Amino acid sequence: MEQLYGYFLYSLSLLTFGGIYAILCLGLNIQWGFTGLFNAGVAGFFAIGAYVSAILTAPESPRHLGGYDLPIPVGVFIAMVVCVPVAWAIGRVCIRLRSDYLAIATLGIAEIIRLVFKNELWATNGARGVSFVPKPFEAWDSPWDQIAMALVVLVIVALLYIAIELARTSPWGRLMAAIREDEPAALAAGKNVERFRLEAFVIGAVVMALGGAMMAHYIKFVDPKMAEPLKATFLVWVMLIAGGSGNNKGAILGAMLLWFIWSITETIAPIIIPDSFAHVVYPFHLVASWFLPEAWMATPIAPDPVTGLDSWDSKAPFLRVFLIGLALQIVLQKFSSGILPEQRLQSLADTDDASARAARSSPS
Amino acid sequence: MLKTVKQVMLAGSMLAVAMTAASADDIVVGSAAGITGPIAELVAPIVAGRELAAKHVNEQGGLLDGDTLVLAHADSQCDPTAGVDAGNKLVNIEQSVAIIGASCSGATNGMVQSVTIPAGVMSISDSATAPSITELDDNDLVFRVAASDAYQGVALAQLAINAGYTKLAMTFSNDDYNAGIASVFEQAFKDLGGEITGSQMHEPEKQSYRSELSTLSGGGAEGLALFAYYGSSGITIVRNSLENGLFGKFLAADGMFDTSVIEQIGADALRGNIMITQAASDDANVSYQAYAAAYGPAYESQGYAASAPYAAHGYDAAFLVALAIEKAGSTDRAAMSAALREVASGPGTVIRPGEWAKAKAAIAAGEDINYEGAVGNNDFDANGDVTGMFSVNTVGDGEGYTTDLIR
Repeated sequence: MEQLYGYFLYSLSLLTFGGIYAILCLGLNIQWGFTGLFNAGVAGFFAIGAYVSAILTAPESPRHLGGYDLPIPVGVFIAMVVCVPVAWAIGRVCIRLRSDYLAIATLGIAEIIRLVFKNELWATNGARGVSFVPKPFEAWDSPWDQIAMALVVLVIVALLYIAIELARTSPWGRLMAAIREDEPAALAAGKNVERFRLEAFVIGAVVMALGGAMMAHYIKFVDPKMAEPLKATFLVWVMLIAGGSGNNKGAILGAMLLWFIWSITETIAPIIIPDSFAHVVYPFHLVASWFLPEAWMATPIAPDPVTGLDSWDSKAPFLRVFLIGLALQIVLQKFSSGILPEQRLQSLADTDDASARAARSSPS
Repeated sequence: MLKTVKQVMLAGSMLAVAMTAASADDIVVGSAAGITGPIAELVAPIVAGRELAAKHVNEQGGLLDGDTLVLAHADSQCDPTAGVDAGNKLVNIEQSVAIIGASCSGATNGMVQSVTIPAGVMSISDSATAPSITELDDNDLVFRVAASDAYQGVALAQLAINAGYTKLAMTFSNDDYNAGIASVFEQAFKDLGGEITGSQMHEPEKQSYRSELSTLSGGGAEGLALFAYYGSSGITIVRNSLENGLFGKFLAADGMFDTSVIEQIGADALRGNIMITQAASDDANVSYQAYAAAYGPAYESQGYAASAPYAAHGYDAAFLVALAIEKAGSTDRAAMSAALREVASGPGTVIRPGEWAKAKAAIAAGEDINYEGAVGNNDFDANGDVTGMFSVNTVGDGEGYTTDLIR
């Protein structure tokens, strides 16, 4: 019974994490999926949301700026508002750049933002992070606090989904698709393409800030490691691409699915890989150690001399990274446009589908 | 193909459900560690220390009615998000009685604040040293056997003054551990009458630190206080300093304590020129010797030394959790922290590393016990912290370190 209750609580944490990543994915979907903006700086807006909301709501501390003690919803709202001028300024400078150039520029800017948070010790306590960030409903008894937290995140995801879906099917959404598919045509139709691209960029960034703020309140702690590109940018990209970019359901599905795989594989990996596998791997490891630098070989997979094979458990996390890569390969090979491909709007679907797709996949 | 994949995944998840549920004779203790991530190399010997303690418990009668102590490992990756995820799994899926870990201060901060404190699960970290953990409002649930940076920074500053340094330049790697210890050192050195001629933060994993070092060398400092991990920037900084004649004397904390520093720089260049403090372990202490005698031979083939940073702490953390369970006489999570305080400090029969059978007998006889661990007496203060002990390591006549305890 207690075990079942444990699974229930764990599934709540899966849903909360998955939901927060779904928020980030929806933000990216506005930028990339609809408008075709290759933003590789998700982590930057994530960091702004997380830090601003954390500092505004955390109690006073000598280690960082703070003591404002604002209610959580106010902190989250201000974090989103702060993101508007930042995203606007970045977009103003970068938005004219085409796909891969925009990616390089935003990637660089996200690193700048992260390093600012890491180095402005007076405001953020640098690498040591901001502690004591309040968590919604934490005063409630378990499991209601966790149920409420998961529900809040899922409700936000649902509201965002409805709002973004409405926007997608509105004239605004059609215009975004037009810009993505054939920018000269949109220009020729008299549309201010740059302004609309900027709009999509800012709205997407604000949604990402919301995701970052929710993460800070859920973890109750923020440090610059959370905004490293691998975790906060590329993981979100992989989720969106795997789920189906351009499709809001796909964005949510991709986020949930990949987070589930990421989290659950750690529990499963030691089980589905039999202990005797360690013996199979060891000779290869030994041979590899003759050729590869010693630093690469820091964790020998030799059967543990003390505890027999138990320590295989502690080495499984390395294998997990490989398993996730493998799962991704399978998903991407099987569903090249994501698990839920984009549902094209009627007016666009009427046009020559093949040529539109070709135009989309060409670099500029 | 897809169908097969689905079937395999389904079978896998069913297996997971079936097999992670501990059998009646297993008592699961969570072990959260940064198994992958930036300090993976440092973590492996620490996890080995935890496993060695579990082995001692299981070989000498096990827990309670002969139950097996099982360590459930989860990867906290040195990252707060992963720390929370790891904590969730250990608390909810593995149903851990208590948790050892996490490794890094950031991951520990996230894990305890978001998961273990609300769930009422005791945690005891063997290597999180950030001062911020002291201040947590933790219902007496968060402990650590690793001393806060606040203590090591002061110890190194005192050492510098005793060695006659009055003016030092300082550089530290911008991560939670090194930045924390550096700021404590800076304050303590100034309080003791020393002068910091310049302080530079540096990013790890750079190819060269010449520009930072030449800026620092301008202030007329007698040496460089260096707070960095040896692999990611420390060795490069020492090499750059020596090659360019910028600094010849170094003071460092335990992120630099590794034999590869000597191997890569050369013992001759460092002899008499480097002092490295390390959270330790009194070599002459009976408790440490008991631990080292068991650890050394067991992990020699893996290349882990008993003196590896925080390996002894890993042993003590796991052994203390086992003692707390035995003392509480049950696997009730709520009873753990009070029981831990009882077994960790005196008065009572002194228990040393490896003496599980003796401890079990004493507890069964209703005696008080006092664990004197490999890293010290492990008497927790009101915040669940220990003062710890430190050693200073210099390069002696040979090719290795000469270690002296700071008393």
